[in-house]
Amino acid sequence: MRSLTFEEVTVRFGSRRHGTVAVDRVDLAVPAGQVVGLVGESGSGKSTLARAAVGLVPLTSGRIHPHPRGGGPVQMVFQDPYSALDPRMTIGASIAEVARGRTDVAQFLEMVGLPAERAGVRPGALSGGQRQRVALARALAGRPEVIVADEITSALDVSIQGAVLNMVRDLQRRMGLTMLFISHNLAVVRYVSDIVAVMRQGKIVEYGPVSLLDEPQHEYTRELLDAVPRP
Amino acid sequence: MAYLKRPLGISAAVLLVLVLGLALVAPLLWQERADAVHPNEILLGPSSAHPVGTDLLGRDILARVLVATRLSVGLALLATAIGVGVGLLLGTAPTLLGRRVGRWITAVINIAVAFPTLLLALFFAVIFGVGAKGAVLAIGFATAPAFARLTQTLAATISGRDFIAAARVAGVGRMRILLRHVLPNIAEPLVVSATMAAGSALLAFASLSFLGLGVQAPGYDWGRLLGEGLAQIYIHPAGALAAGVAVIVAAMAFNLTGEAVARGLVMINPDKPRSALVGKAEPLPGGGLLHVENLRVSYGDVTPVRGVSLTVGAGEAVGIVGESGSGKSLTALAIAQLIESPGRVDADRIEFLGEDLRHGDHRKLLGTSLAMVFQDPMTSLNPTHKVGRQLAEVAREHQGATRRAAWRRAVDRLAAVRIPDAERRARQLPHEFSGGMRQRAMIGMGVMASPRLIIADEPTTALDVTVQRRVLELLADVRAAEGAALLFISHDVTVVGQVCDRVLVMYAGRVVEDLPTASLAGGALHPYTQALVSAVPSMTTDRDRPLAVIPGRPPDPHALPAGCAYAPRCPLATERCLDEDPTLTVHDDGRRVACWHAEAHLEGAAS
Repeated sequence: MRSLTFEEVTVRFGSRRHGTVAVDRVDLAVPAGQVVGLVGESGSGKSTLARAAVGLVPLTSGRIHPHPRGGGPVQMVFQDPYSALDPRMTIGASIAEVARGRTDVAQFLEMVGLPAERAGVRPGALSGGQRQRVALARALAGRPEVIVADEITSALDVSIQGAVLNMVRDLQRRMGLTMLFISHNLAVVRYVSDIVAVMRQGKIVEYGPVSLLDEPQHEYTRELLDAVPRP
Repeated sequence: MAYLKRPLGISAAVLLVLVLGLALVAPLLWQERADAVHPNEILLGPSSAHPVGTDLLGRDILARVLVATRLSVGLALLATAIGVGVGLLLGTAPTLLGRRVGRWITAVINIAVAFPTLLLALFFAVIFGVGAKGAVLAIGFATAPAFARLTQTLAATISGRDFIAAARVAGVGRMRILLRHVLPNIAEPLVVSATMAAGSALLAFASLSFLGLGVQAPGYDWGRLLGEGLAQIYIHPAGALAAGVAVIVAAMAFNLTGEAVARGLVMINPDKPRSALVGKAEPLPGGGLLHVENLRVSYGDVTPVRGVSLTVGAGEAVGIVGESGSGKSLTALAIAQLIESPGRVDADRIEFLGEDLRHGDHRKLLGTSLAMVFQDPMTSLNPTHKVGRQLAEVAREHQGATRRAAWRRAVDRLAAVRIPDAERRARQLPHEFSGGMRQRAMIGMGVMASPRLIIADEPTTALDVTVQRRVLELLADVRAAEGAALLFISHDVTVVGQVCDRVLVMYAGRVVEDLPTASLAGGALHPYTQALVSAVPSMTTDRDRPLAVIPGRPPDPHALPAGCAYAPRCPLATERCLDEDPTLTVHDDGRRVACWHAEAHLEGAAS
């Protein structure tokens, strides 16, 4: 397995003068085989950073290793399970497209806990949680060394969220995947991550082992923690 | 293909098959008859030998009109094919060639679309020369820009979806993305619009031929026949009209088919309404501001809300939690009288401030005493009006305030919901507000009058934690300041726990438990409530153990089980649970639970 590193990465949208800087000289390392949880509010630049890692957003400056390109060793799972799968394609075809016929589609479906017989159904017949499993299976079919997961449980009901999180953690540990796990939900990030990075206004303001959530150093991290609802 | 089963669809299809069939066989059957010149039968009126008479050379007009079908329809289809082909190439080019080149092509399309079609056609006719070939190219190229624009817009919508991004990440090439993902997803509207374009091309072609710019003698299509007949219209009207009728029928065949298919595409299952499932009435503790008894909401033969009873006391904060599809939002909408057709609301009682909401018009009462806050404030604010003006409207509409007084109240309310610099902000449009600020403006709108009840439907689901906390605090403040009650709908049981005094847990269209929020952690009696609470990870969840999950899925509203709806997922389920549906039973402390096991549990505790 390999690590994912961002070096001085800047992403700017629009022109130099009137544009906005979404990601501002970010240095971030996701060590091999570990899960880094990236938290921050919407607009903090965390999704832009994720899309940059897989080449969906061009870098203004800086470097990412491994180099972002289509079909590369980094695969991504998206937030909205309803938009992430082509409604016209069977889920088997969606997975096979990424696997490029090298392997058995059934194997990947079983990996995410779906019966292989379901390969012939279209996404319309699946629930949100099942779609998100298929999206994960598709990412795995690309034989990735690194997975970027962008808010993958935010659109799911709490009852389904738990099952998807369990599966993500189990797969990550079994396959030793390197993972950048993005969420605005601190409790979720705390549950799956080894390392936590806090992002605000395009910058990483705090970075450290997950235990930092017990004793945050940065004021903004404390503010985020205070806002977590407690029953 | 369901749209072909409706009357419009059937007649359109029959007409289209007839026209196309005629185009194929008519020249084989009647060519000779159409070309036979009879110098002694010139300009005859309708007779048994010539149903619509003869022309200047004594040829049978009906035969000529029928034979002309092939040329007229064929040329129109050819022109459409050119238009669709060029349009598709131009429209998909931005997807294929990337951002920079795409921008130029888009600009070209935008300019081309701005030219009037007929002008463009005349212009091309001059370039390509007068004749059928010129006309086909002219109409084809004139159709192309509109089709290119449509293709491009549709493709752009699809290209923004995550599955396209996912394919790109996987290294799928642009051409493959276009062919496998984009085109199949936009094919339906394109086919519809191509069918309609064929109808228009037919008309355009007839016009050009009629003007002498299309088919030239000795060839003839409907446009030319119409032109020839027109000269004799006073002596011999039937001869001129025959070609006109043919044009109309054929154009209608194409347009109606397109329309029928289009309707089929947007059709939302308009199932015939069947009598709603009769839910069991639930006994109800007395007293309160809002009384709802045995509320049912049905859509056709599906009843997503099946007999909900609840009360909200004055100033009380009540939460409704449940998974998506549990009926929680529909319950709230039904109370606010916001269920639209084909939805149907039935209830034994919906009483708010002593008024029966089931009958009559309650706009005034609801406008002043009930405030509604939705999940997405952007869709509930008018994007073209200043925020302050939208708030002021409430005061003018319901309280008859003057323009100035209403505006002052609006600014005051915006300040009350802690919008900084309210005077300036009131003059801004909704898109200039952040998500959290818009939600606060919505709450501000709710408190323009003095509401007795605020219904908030997932008001913080789209917001970040820090913004969520501020909105929740604001709701609590407003409630304290106005003495209003709150009905708070959410899928997140922890959020509800923060703002509410009491929680109703809904499952499959029923209330399964009604308990004080203090009892949520540890004191819930229904196994579903317990599972819902433990499924949410908290900041103290054990990281080394798997999260608690609720196995299975909520039941299909079309096929609800006979017994308890939760039984198939419940670890405690017994034979009785599968056979008998437990009723919501009130206990001594006012709590309500619908579970056979909770009952045993309580009885055991009592004896």
